[in-house]
Amino acid sequence: MSQSDFTVEIFQNEYLTAGAREVNSIVTVTAPDDLARATDATTGRAEAIIIDCSGSMDYPHAKIVQARAATQAALDVVRDGVAFAVIAGTEVARPVFPNDGSLVIASPQTRQAAKQVVGNLRPGGGTAMGSWLRLARQMLTSGSAGLRHAILLTDGKNEHEAPEQLTTAISECDGVFSCDCRGVGTDWQVAELRRISTALLGTVDIVPDPSGLTADFEAMMATAMGKAVADVALRVWTPQSAELQFVKQVAPTVDDLTGRRTQSGPQAGDYPTGAWGGGESRDYHVCVQVNAAAVGQEMLASRISLIVGGQVQGQGLVRAVWTDDEALSTRINANVAHYTGQAELAQAIQDGLEARKQGDEEIATAKLGRAVALAQESGNEDTARLLAKVVDVVDAATGTVRLKKKIDDADEMALDTRSTKTVRTRK
Amino acid sequence: MTAAGESVSCPTCGQPVWPDDNFCEACSTDLAPAVTSGDSSQPATRQCPNCAGTSITPEGYCESCGRKLPAGNDHVELELDLVAGVTDKGLRHSRNEDAMALATTQSKAGPVALAVVCDGVSTSSHPDEASQAASQAAVQVLLAAVRGGSDLGVSSVGAVKAAQKALAELADSARLHANAPSATFVSAVVTAEQVTVCWLGDSRAYWIDADGPATSRQLTVDDSIAAELVARGLSEAEAMALPQAHVVTGWIGADAGDAQPHVTVFDPQGAGAVLLCSDGLWNYQSDVAGLAEMALPDAVRDPLRAAATLVKFAIESGGSDNVTVVLIPFPPGTRTRPGDTSVIAATDLGDPR
Repeated sequence: MSQSDFTVEIFQNEYLTAGAREVNSIVTVTAPDDLARATDATTGRAEAIIIDCSGSMDYPHAKIVQARAATQAALDVVRDGVAFAVIAGTEVARPVFPNDGSLVIASPQTRQAAKQVVGNLRPGGGTAMGSWLRLARQMLTSGSAGLRHAILLTDGKNEHEAPEQLTTAISECDGVFSCDCRGVGTDWQVAELRRISTALLGTVDIVPDPSGLTADFEAMMATAMGKAVADVALRVWTPQSAELQFVKQVAPTVDDLTGRRTQSGPQAGDYPTGAWGGGESRDYHVCVQVNAAAVGQEMLASRISLIVGGQVQGQGLVRAVWTDDEALSTRINANVAHYTGQAELAQAIQDGLEARKQGDEEIATAKLGRAVALAQESGNEDTARLLAKVVDVVDAATGTVRLKKKIDDADEMALDTRSTKTVRTRK
Repeated sequence: MTAAGESVSCPTCGQPVWPDDNFCEACSTDLAPAVTSGDSSQPATRQCPNCAGTSITPEGYCESCGRKLPAGNDHVELELDLVAGVTDKGLRHSRNEDAMALATTQSKAGPVALAVVCDGVSTSSHPDEASQAASQAAVQVLLAAVRGGSDLGVSSVGAVKAAQKALAELADSARLHANAPSATFVSAVVTAEQVTVCWLGDSRAYWIDADGPATSRQLTVDDSIAAELVARGLSEAEAMALPQAHVVTGWIGADAGDAQPHVTVFDPQGAGAVLLCSDGLWNYQSDVAGLAEMALPDAVRDPLRAAATLVKFAIESGGSDNVTVVLIPFPPGTRTRPGDTSVIAATDLGDPR
């Protein structure tokens, strides 16, 4: 069965003024619509749901009740034939279904059996996420599935293991499965879950009210079922003696991939992008510093290709042309400008919230004010709405704001977790 | 026809031919074929002039240092012994959309040199292919006319028609009627008695008199808004300063309408050279006296060197456009011998700037 290739589009201003070295480009990668058809949609897929069953999940009791219901709802979304497992997490990890640490193939009967076991989960104990991830790794790799994914739900901090145990577990799971993380309530730490979700190429979000869990779990599982290929990598070739400044995913969220490079050739490196669904489209910002050539000269500043199952699929060329025509070289590509702004927006929010935690109101006000201005300018309305719960906006255009005296924890955490969400440009 | 000098061998079949034969009697090989700036063949293995890398991407970039390798026509020097020309893409443009075609041949009245220069219109589709196709088609018509003894003025108009037809075919093959490939045109045929110049657009011909700037003159009048304004009384400086000055009002191409080529015939009174050029040169020096000063005395005795000097001047003045310069000394000297044709396609340029 033949299938179309991924497409790679480059948006840039290739013209550089004499002596300039930095070449910026936005790379839009789009998976073919028929991607799902090319993969066997049912075999080769494994799902794990990790439910925090620490004692705090009973306070309020609604947390465990809603977590059980959300897990049952997510199991209903798992398609027949998909291998799955449910894990209960406390200071240790316990295989709940199946209870032997393997996987079970989804069918009406196995789903029913799993839902029954999930309904009996009782909270009690501590929190050691590293051990949860390790068990998920073991269960997800017990079959032959190539598309491996987990959902991790917690309500607290990683208190019952050493921080380095979590670090080790994350690196063991890196490249083995992807993981979407959710925090229920406001007693968990955004930075901790973000560390897991970033390394494991998943999403992170807050569910402030336990009643929101079911819809969120259903949506997450539906997205997971839509993924058709795993382990897709962005390969970036650069000229000899060029320096790659950064490779960032910039849509749908900002995710710096620079440190995730694996050398794949003398002048090329691969950056992991995780699993893709049919028709999915993402944008990347690639910044490379090359040796300047003479005016009139042209250079291939980078070649971006997509590696799917070890095969090159789709390719785009980033060019550099040196000119003494300022009308050409001073033009800033609209896509590059937009995403530079979106990345700055995410950073300003995180810096502002951090400064506020440290008690530095002046810096917090400046950073969050800048964020308000950037959100307004780029039309990122969702982020603007979240910012307005943390600061009183005096003038959005200039970024004049006042910190709110009293900020709801959930609002602050929502702003933090969703700070990386970007809006796309109209191309 | 009397044969001059000693016989040599046909480069194709090895049979003896005379230096003033146009064709080999045995195998019909054209012994003095036209040469064009577009047909400099790429060597089988290419090397990056920047880092000496030999792995080149299909798009023409060096797989090692990333530099774009010069295209075959980025800088081309052509020299037959009666005519020489240099074309260069300049500093601002990414490719060379100018083209030239040169030929020398033998007529009943003696040796003849001829040349065509075309400048592809940048705003049309495939201007680089347009200028090449047009100059190649035209030079063949002129060459046949000289060899056949036809009227050179009439034949020059015929050469423009052939160039038009080549562009129409290019438009058809690439389905480019919306923005038809187009180019400017200037040709010169230089016999022992006469110079026949034909043009459409703003590529120019000048007479460079061996006696100096005073007796040199411009032979063409541009088909351009600026030239029309000058004709209505504006000074050249005033006209050229206008934003629309460079808009051409005549060109060859499928959308050229009923623009008619102009022909001028000129009988030089003494030695000199005909200079053909694209606006890449005259943008920086349109005054014939200034051009003559730079071109002489090489224009008459070493046309390649004179052409190179003028191209270098245009590049050093800013190189804002492609530039092409062809020089044909008058009267035409001795006949080119078979095998003497030398084509220097400078694809192995380091960085001359």
